[in-house]
Amino acid sequence: MSSDGATDPFEAWPEGVAWRSVSPRLAVVLLIRLWVGALVLGALVVAVVTLTGLALSVGWALTVISLLTLLRSATIVRAVRAWGYAERDRDLLVRHGLWVKQLSIVPYARMQFVDVSAGPVERAFGLATVELHTAAAASDAEVPGLVAADARRLRDRLTELGADRTAGL
Amino acid sequence: MTATTPPVEAPRRRLHPLSPLLHGVKTLAVAVAAISWQGYAQLGPLRWAALVAALCVIGLAVAAVSWRATGYQVTGRELRVSEGLVWRRTRAIPLERLQTVEVRQSPLARLLGVAELRLEVAGGSKTEAPLAYLGREDAAALRETLLGRARPPAPHGPAVAAVPLLAVPSRDVLVGQLLTVQALTLPLPLAFIVAQTMYAGSGSLIAFASTVTALVGVALQPVRRVLADWSFRLSSDADGLHVARGLLELRRQVVPVRRVQIARAVWPLLWRRRGWLRIQLEIAGVRQADEEETANTLMPVGDLATARRLLPTVLPGVDLLGLPMRPAPPRARWLAPLAQPTLAVAVTDEVFATADGVFTRRYNLVPYARAQSVRLTRSRTQRLLGLASVHLDTGAGTVTAAHRDADEARWLAGLLTDRMLRALR
Repeated sequence: MSSDGATDPFEAWPEGVAWRSVSPRLAVVLLIRLWVGALVLGALVVAVVTLTGLALSVGWALTVISLLTLLRSATIVRAVRAWGYAERDRDLLVRHGLWVKQLSIVPYARMQFVDVSAGPVERAFGLATVELHTAAAASDAEVPGLVAADARRLRDRLTELGADRTAGL
Repeated sequence: MTATTPPVEAPRRRLHPLSPLLHGVKTLAVAVAAISWQGYAQLGPLRWAALVAALCVIGLAVAAVSWRATGYQVTGRELRVSEGLVWRRTRAIPLERLQTVEVRQSPLARLLGVAELRLEVAGGSKTEAPLAYLGREDAAALRETLLGRARPPAPHGPAVAAVPLLAVPSRDVLVGQLLTVQALTLPLPLAFIVAQTMYAGSGSLIAFASTVTALVGVALQPVRRVLADWSFRLSSDADGLHVARGLLELRRQVVPVRRVQIARAVWPLLWRRRGWLRIQLEIAGVRQADEEETANTLMPVGDLATARRLLPTVLPGVDLLGLPMRPAPPRARWLAPLAQPTLAVAVTDEVFATADGVFTRRYNLVPYARAQSVRLTRSRTQRLLGLASVHLDTGAGTVTAAHRDADEARWLAGLLTDRMLRALR
């Protein structure tokens, strides 16, 4: 997946796990969100400066905004590639993150409920986010950018596996 | 559950007839505070008294009407509390969701022989449906009923007589709270105020008032703890652990042992010379609002021997001194320069334990059956040093083994996952 090699605990472990990656279209969704946000911000800056006559160079502000946007755009593609999930027999694994890498391990039996959500942009690309909730607020098992059919399948599987047992409270 | 205790339909019951009076007193206090001394000066004593009397009557009337409209009932496996005259509301609380039931007596309620019943519900963010007030015996009986139905039948047959486990000398509670940073630094601003009033004259009233207010804020926590943990007594029976404590406000709580998510042994800096520590419990659904800071104390203050004796009542088989603590690698100092020597982790058959804290040292213990998920995280700087952190999430917070060697962290995460899955049954 990346060049980290076998020494990286987040790539080589756990062994024998069939990692699934999220849809690359998620990157497009995130980019659209980012650019729309940047455009709105830019328009806001221009409007405020022209209306109030603030002593601020519009050119500089827009340059900074576009530079940051470009920088973020570059990381979004890599961040989407870093997302992955795996369904094992008794637990779900989710990994993500570039700066702070995270690997979550959540037993199906600890599941309280499952959320499937999709925003307007996500829907336009036929994607959805599946999130598994446990009794712990810190549990983080969110899988974004799933093709709708995959999302449905994952949700059904999770509820089916979690239905017979709830424990830990 | 239903086989052993046939659900008896209890009749709908009212709160204690003195409740409106007690609520009325509260309203009165608020009203008087609202009118304040300024009002007193403007109205003159006679009119002020008349106004207060009128408010009193109104307050009592409102309280009496709401008393008539309030009722509670235990039906099958639910407690139903209905209230409100205009906006009627009936809340049904499933008994298996009950976390703790607490009997509380404010000083005034003690005088009148009544008590307040507070219910903590799993998943609820605050105390639900306080029943204020019930007769003291009624409150105790209702608590027994609620807890009796809330828990599965006790494995060891009929109720066992309560076994006293701990009686903390109130002097120790006082000394313990005097040995806090807040209490010890108090003389400084106090001296400042005295000096200010002596030399600066009367011009700095506002400065004076604000200093006093700040002072009260600082001193409040230790004072509160002393009041709350006064004559702390712990006993155990088939229901679980019973805590009775309080100087002004008497409280009796049951701590359901099976719902303890995290147990913490805490050594505040200034207690270390005396060899004292405190044991706190984190219970799912019971938020630690600052008023409730002392809510789940197993031992407010005590020595190591007592702590070692008490801890197994909550976490069977756990010995504070027997934990095979593995320190964090020396290179963790780059990321935690002060805490590194205190960071440690232990995995036993019973619990996952971590140690942390620079000034206030803590041991955090999680039984595997309460763990909800395992997380392995690594930041960029951790990666440069070959470190990673392992987190065990519970319904009442997360316990983290920070800055472990990356390979060890991976091993830990695998081990914890295994233990967590095995503890499910």
